[in-house]
Amino acid sequence: MTAVIRTQSLSKWYGNVLGLSDVSLEIEPGITGLLGPNGAGKSTFLKLITGQIKPSIGTVSILAEPIWNNVRTFAKLGFCPEQDSFYEDMTGWEFLTRLLSLHGFSAAEIEARAERALRFVELAKDKDRLIRGYSRGMRQRLKVAQAVAHDPQIIILDEPLNGLDPLGKRKVIRLIKDFKEAGKTVIVSSHVLPEIEALTRSIVLLHQGKILAQGDIHYIRDLIDKHPHKISVMCSNPRRLAARLVGEPSVQNIQFGPGPETIVFETRDRDVIFGFLPRLVVDNAIDVEEITSPDDNLQAVFDYLTGK
Amino acid sequence: MPRNALRSVFSFFFFIGRKARKTRVFFLISGLPVLVALVIRASRLFAPRLPVDGPSLFNNVIMAFDLQFLILVLALFYGTSIVSEELEGKTLTYLTTRPADKTAIVLGKYAAYGLFLLIMLTASVVLSFVVMNIERLADPDAWTDMLGGLGVLALGLLAYLAFFTLIGTFLKKSVLFGLFFSFGWENVVQYFPGSTQKFTLMHYLKSLLPAASTGSPGKLSFLMVGLQPSPAAASIATLLVLTAGFLTAACLVFNRKEYIFEE
Repeated sequence: MTAVIRTQSLSKWYGNVLGLSDVSLEIEPGITGLLGPNGAGKSTFLKLITGQIKPSIGTVSILAEPIWNNVRTFAKLGFCPEQDSFYEDMTGWEFLTRLLSLHGFSAAEIEARAERALRFVELAKDKDRLIRGYSRGMRQRLKVAQAVAHDPQIIILDEPLNGLDPLGKRKVIRLIKDFKEAGKTVIVSSHVLPEIEALTRSIVLLHQGKILAQGDIHYIRDLIDKHPHKISVMCSNPRRLAARLVGEPSVQNIQFGPGPETIVFETRDRDVIFGFLPRLVVDNAIDVEEITSPDDNLQAVFDYLTGK
Repeated sequence: MPRNALRSVFSFFFFIGRKARKTRVFFLISGLPVLVALVIRASRLFAPRLPVDGPSLFNNVIMAFDLQFLILVLALFYGTSIVSEELEGKTLTYLTTRPADKTAIVLGKYAAYGLFLLIMLTASVVLSFVVMNIERLADPDAWTDMLGGLGVLALGLLAYLAFFTLIGTFLKKSVLFGLFFSFGWENVVQYFPGSTQKFTLMHYLKSLLPAASTGSPGKLSFLMVGLQPSPAAASIATLLVLTAGFLTAACLVFNRKEYIFEE
C-alpha cells in the first residue's frame, strides 16, 4: 500500500524546548492511533502534518506533496483540533456552511454537504441552536462534522474522545470506524490506551517527542506484558485474600495498604490473575468492593517501556 | 485555491461581525459624536446667541473628535483583533486548514471589518452633521463639506486599520503598542514643527481637511495648529501607498509566521 502521509526526520523545537525529535513515519489508509502521555509530542506532530507549524528539521508530505502553505492539499485534509473552541455566536449550521464556503463549493453543494455532515454526527435536530448552548459531546461532534463535511481523503482527529461521556465516546468511535469503512486515512491521537484499542490495531507510541514503538497493538501489549502489573483489591478480608494469593506462582510482591481494607500485589500475567481471582473471592466468601489496576495507565506503561 | 476565497472570508467575518458583542459596543462608542452634537444643540437652545455657528462647531468639534479619537480607537481595536482574536479564541485552526490562502484570510477580514467601521463612521458623521446643521440641510455646500470631511475620515480609518492589522500579525501586546502609537506618537508628533510631523499619518489627513487648503480654519481649529500641510494629491497618494504597504506586509508576516496557541 502507498503511504498517504510521509514524514522524514521530522523535528520541532519551540525555542529551547523540544517538541518532536527525528520522527520518520509512513502512514497508510485505515485508522492509525497516535498514543502518548500528555506532552509526548502528539499535538506537535498533528500540527506539523496539518501545516499549522513548520518543521525545524525534516519534511512532511501529504499525498506526495509538501503541506506548509500548500493550499491545494488542504482540500484533501480534514482536521479536528483538540481545543474546545468555536465562533460561539454562530449556530451549528452557520458554522458548517461558512467553513464549507472557504472550500469554494456552490451554495447548493454547501447546503447539501452541511446537511449530510450534521446528519452523520447526529446534530441535524440542533443545527439552528447557538454553539454556545451545545453540550460538550455536541461540540465535539460538531468539530468532527467540520473536519469531514468537505469529504476529505485524510481525517486527523486530535483527542476526539476527550471529555466525552461513555455514550458520546461510543458515538464518536462509531463515526471514526465509518470513515475507515469509507476508505479514508484516519489518524486519531489519544493519551488513553483503551480508547485507541477500541479503534485500531495500528498504533504509534510517542514519548518525549520520539517514537517509542510502532506497529500492531498486540506487539505493544506484549512489550507491556513483560513488565509486572499492579493490581489493587479493596475487600472485607485482605489477610485471607493475601494468604490465598501467596501460593499462586503468577503473584509476586504482596503488600497491604494504603487503607486497612486494601491489598496490592504484582503479576506478570494479568490474564491468569483475572481468570482465577473471581473464583478465589467467591470460594473464600470475601466481599470485594473494588478491583483496580493502579498502573494501568499510559504513563506507567511508558515508564515501564523506558525503564524508569 | 478557490477563486472566491477572498469573498468567502469577507462574507464569513461580515456575518460573524454582525452578531458580535464587540460590534454593539463600538456602535455605541461611534455614537458619542452624535451625543456631543445633541448636547451642543441643546445648549444652543438656552444660549441662542453663541458666537460660533453650527458648521464651525461641526468642523471643529465633531470632526476633531472623529479624526483624533474615534477613527484611531475603531481601527486599533478592529485591526489588532484580525489575528489576535483568532489566537485568543483558538479558532485560527479552522481557517488555516482550509484551501483558502492566508493572504485571503487577512485581506478578507480587513475588508469585512473595514466595511463595518465605515458604516459606523458614516452613520455617526451624518447623524451628528444633521443635528448640528438642521437649519442648513437644504444647503448643498454644507453637504459637500461634510462629505469631504467624511472622505478624509474614511481614508484615515482604512490607513490606520491597515497599520494595526500589520501590528496585530506579529506583536503579542498589539493593543498596548497601538494605544501608545495612537495617543502618544500620532497625537503628539503631528504638532511638531518642520518635517517631523510628516512621520505621522495624521499629518496627511489634516492636510486634506478643507481648512488646510483654504487657510480659514475657523475660531476653534486647534487641528490646524502648527500644520504645514502637504499638497492634497501627495497626501492622498501617501495614504494609499502606506495602506497598501501595511496590508502587503501584514500578508507576508501572516504567511510566514507560525502561530502557536497559549496553553
